[in-house]
Amino acid sequence: MKITSLTLALTLVGALGLPVCAAASKTTDATYREYTPYINYGNNPKASDDARFSNTYQYWQDNAKIDPKRASSLTEFWTVNWKYREAPFDGNLHGGHVAQDRGEELYKQLNAKGDFANCMGAKKGGLKGLRLTYPRMDKAMGSIVGMEAKIEYCAAKQGMKLENGSYDNTAVSTYITAFSNGMPININVTKGPLKGSFERGKRLFHMKAGWTNFSCATCHVTLVGKNLRGQTPTTHYGDASHWPTWRSKDELQSLHIRLTECNRNSGVQPLKIGSPEYTDLEVFLTALSNGYPVASPSQRD
Amino acid sequence: MKKNLLALAAIGALYGVPLAQAADAQAANFLYDTSTKNKTIWPKPVTNSGVVKYNEHRQDLSRWPSLSYQDHRSAKKPETVSLQGALNGNADNGKKLAMNNQKGNCWACHALPGDPQPGSGGPALLNSGTWRYSDANMYQQVWDRRVANPATVMPPFGTNGALSDQEIRDIVAYLQSLK
Repeated sequence: MKITSLTLALTLVGALGLPVCAAASKTTDATYREYTPYINYGNNPKASDDARFSNTYQYWQDNAKIDPKRASSLTEFWTVNWKYREAPFDGNLHGGHVAQDRGEELYKQLNAKGDFANCMGAKKGGLKGLRLTYPRMDKAMGSIVGMEAKIEYCAAKQGMKLENGSYDNTAVSTYITAFSNGMPININVTKGPLKGSFERGKRLFHMKAGWTNFSCATCHVTLVGKNLRGQTPTTHYGDASHWPTWRSKDELQSLHIRLTECNRNSGVQPLKIGSPEYTDLEVFLTALSNGYPVASPSQRD
Repeated sequence: MKKNLLALAAIGALYGVPLAQAADAQAANFLYDTSTKNKTIWPKPVTNSGVVKYNEHRQDLSRWPSLSYQDHRSAKKPETVSLQGALNGNADNGKKLAMNNQKGNCWACHALPGDPQPGSGGPALLNSGTWRYSDANMYQQVWDRRVANPATVMPPFGTNGALSDQEIRDIVAYLQSLK
């Protein structure tokens, strides 16, 4: 009798649930998900807002003047938000520079006729400041895109396959990004399509998922500064400004590639590179870097 | 119990577990390849290549709710459990599970004896055997800590099927042995 009623109940759930999933575009009210409590991001966030959150901004706000003692302290290094791993503080050559050279080579092939730069939205073919115009609502692609998605799109028009997330795509991104070195990130999420994207990205950042029931914010808000084995999560403010990056495991990564790794590390199913979800997270994180200078090529742990 | 499982399996076959099917995984933007053993895959950039290579992940992560906009599955709500019978846990095995980062991975957040880089995400467990938690209470905390603290960041190991009943018993036996 007990089995019969269970069977019936599950049958009903299955019968009702399946069409909802098939139609699939909005989460129904019936969906139960948990969220890490939001911090006050405001409508127009900037990197310096971190001062009232993890209160580490003072230690990384000027990436030319990082305190070397703090950066090498086992208990305090996390407060520098990894800024000691990039120029101008650290001018050493690393794999990101090799990628930059590769990116230049590919860019020159792609832009032999000047069409690639135009497609990317470079003003008069100049690459300075181009990185700051992404992520954006892109008319040609009809959606909100990060720069690497646009590189794939524009390279295809030149007959070159540069999959979003591939080394060569990220190499071109590294090359283009370096032209904006020192220029502050400044995307406007107070209006238009980016406003909605920012709000969705914020929600995703705090939404728990996977067998761990972790959100991005579990580590980067709740556990920021705590020791998790050999690692210490840092603030999510002022982070997007240094992507793409050269990881110390010798891998060139775009931000979306990193997000697939974040997902796996926390027991959550990774999503496709360039997916709307990762793009919204990119918009959210980029807004949290507003006012902070671009650094490329950069390196991170 | 066996009959319940059979009923579940039958319904699963009839209606499909949402998103466990290839078509749904596609719509949900999952990095997912049904031709691989564990289904979940991850991208690996290859130097001087415009193509992304994909590797197989060590487990199928699509079984749990994701961040996909097409994923409308609910997370599991906090689960209250009662420990059946005596604990019967193996503390030695519990220690192995607690220090295995593909199992309990307790030491990621908690300080445990003998760990040179103790975690500080949760309370130190250096003397958890002196806390006078009953076995049943300790078992509940590992199974699903949310029952006692809805704001916890601790994974609900039992509720989400990350650890089995016996594995949790072993971990409880280990925690009770720390004095």
